[in-house]
Amino acid sequence: MLTVKELESGYGPMQVLWKPSLQVKKGTITALLGPNGVGKSTFLSTVFGSVEPWGGTIHYVGEDVTNLPTHKKVEMGVALVPEGKHLFPNMNVYENLAMGAYVKKALEHKDESMEIVYSLFPRLKERQKQLAGSLSGGEQQMVTIARALMTKPKLMMLDEPSQGLAPVLVQSVFETIQKMRDEIGLTILLVEQNADAALNAAGYVYIMHEGLIKAEGKPEKIKGSSEIREAYLGI
Amino acid sequence: MKKEITKYYPLIPVFTAYLFLFLVGKNISGMWQLVAMLLFYCAMGQAFNIFLGMTGYVDFGYVAFMGVGTYGMALAITNLAHIEGLGIGIIIIGFILALLMSTLLSMAVGAVALRLRGAYFAIATIGVNEGFRFLIEGARIWNGSEGLIFTAQLNQILGREAASSLMTYWADIMVLFIAALAAFVTLFYMRSKIGYALTALREDEDAAKVMGINVTKYKITAFITSACFAGLVGATSWALKTPYVFPPEVFEIHYTIEAIIIVLLGGAGTLLGPVVGGLIYGISKYYLSIFMPGFQLLIFAPIIIIIIVLFPEGVVGMLKSRTKGSVLARFII
Repeated sequence: MLTVKELESGYGPMQVLWKPSLQVKKGTITALLGPNGVGKSTFLSTVFGSVEPWGGTIHYVGEDVTNLPTHKKVEMGVALVPEGKHLFPNMNVYENLAMGAYVKKALEHKDESMEIVYSLFPRLKERQKQLAGSLSGGEQQMVTIARALMTKPKLMMLDEPSQGLAPVLVQSVFETIQKMRDEIGLTILLVEQNADAALNAAGYVYIMHEGLIKAEGKPEKIKGSSEIREAYLGI
Repeated sequence: MKKEITKYYPLIPVFTAYLFLFLVGKNISGMWQLVAMLLFYCAMGQAFNIFLGMTGYVDFGYVAFMGVGTYGMALAITNLAHIEGLGIGIIIIGFILALLMSTLLSMAVGAVALRLRGAYFAIATIGVNEGFRFLIEGARIWNGSEGLIFTAQLNQILGREAASSLMTYWADIMVLFIAALAAFVTLFYMRSKIGYALTALREDEDAAKVMGINVTKYKITAFITSACFAGLVGATSWALKTPYVFPPEVFEIHYTIEAIIIVLLGGAGTLLGPVVGGLIYGISKYYLSIFMPGFQLLIFAPIIIIIIVLFPEGVVGMLKSRTKGSVLARFII
């Protein structure tokens, strides 16, 4: 569904990505793991288009989308759940979700998406009228994910969905991610530092280090290799 | 159909305020001068609000758009005065030229500065105003620092009497119309997709992008619209009311600051805000300078601080949250 080849990008004079390649198959959960500051978030931003690629190619459902602007990608069904809960704090939960259905295609399916979202997160239905800024950390993360669902995506990319959450909540976030794949049929690419949780949820794993893919394989293989675990994941 | 009409209810308080101002100025002798000043402040606030209020970006070079608008009108009158029988048409051409020039300048500024955010945008735009002024003076464009004086041309085209009633009365009426039009456009934007996009962008630009909103497009749209209204305000309030233009007078950062104060006092991003802000600012400025000449800023500064502390969302922002859920909420946005 998503094929990234030898992607290069960075900020100003500093190159961050040194030609990593990655593939996400339809209906799977793919995880991109690695410690802080190795370029994982930059990778997602570049794929999404908020950071300009310097080289390499990005293909999504067979089409070359390397230089497409973000809003075009959203229309094509790519969603990004950004790092650090970018919510609209002065809008209530319902308004936040409704904003998610901004692009034309999503707007046509707004009510339907809203139902899916509420069945996935019954908690948010209870909190509809509450200001997003006043929710707890876990609930805010739910809103961010739910809002991305409202864009009617086929591929959802999540940037550190477990960041700053209590261990119980981390588990429920990953359960949600698996549910989205199983019940809605989403394809998922997630970036994580929490290797343990991600290894349990993902079907395929890439390990990134210094802007490069250093290892890849099924989670069992990564778990089984003490070399990879110690060198890149610290577990 | 009914829903279509209720959509525009919030214009009622705005237009009522403008009508009230007009009636006061017209019927109470000696008040026209104050009313004209208030209309100018309201129009400037209403125009600036489309950008500052709706996007949350602070443009410190805003007055430059009013400046080029003034020049647009001035150039049309000075260059076309010799054509016979143009009459009032020359003013229409002036408006078109003012719009064109402020659109071009805002496109140029926007293409560069709107790539920046927050404080960086603000800093980048400070330079625009000063830069443009020194360009005109230094390169001697449009008569350089000597400016353009076109009282004679205006008299020649319109006749002495008509020209004088234009300066003292009709120019202010035009400002009134521009303010009302700006209010209408503001509401139209708020009620359409642009408004939602800009609200999202103001709250969190990154989140807005993730939603598939083409943030650049909407920022530029708001910027150009706002600049066009600034150009129109300049063309009337400055060029038609006082038929001369000097670079240091129209590219004066002081007006940008006033516009920012008006928008924030009234409530950034609200429809009624610029009117309330313009009235509070204009009336205080006028009477303070009469009763306490020389001290007006000293007294005015604490007043602004008090209002901002009491109503961080502006006066109308406060009214809006107070009336939430009541019938009045339909009229105040």
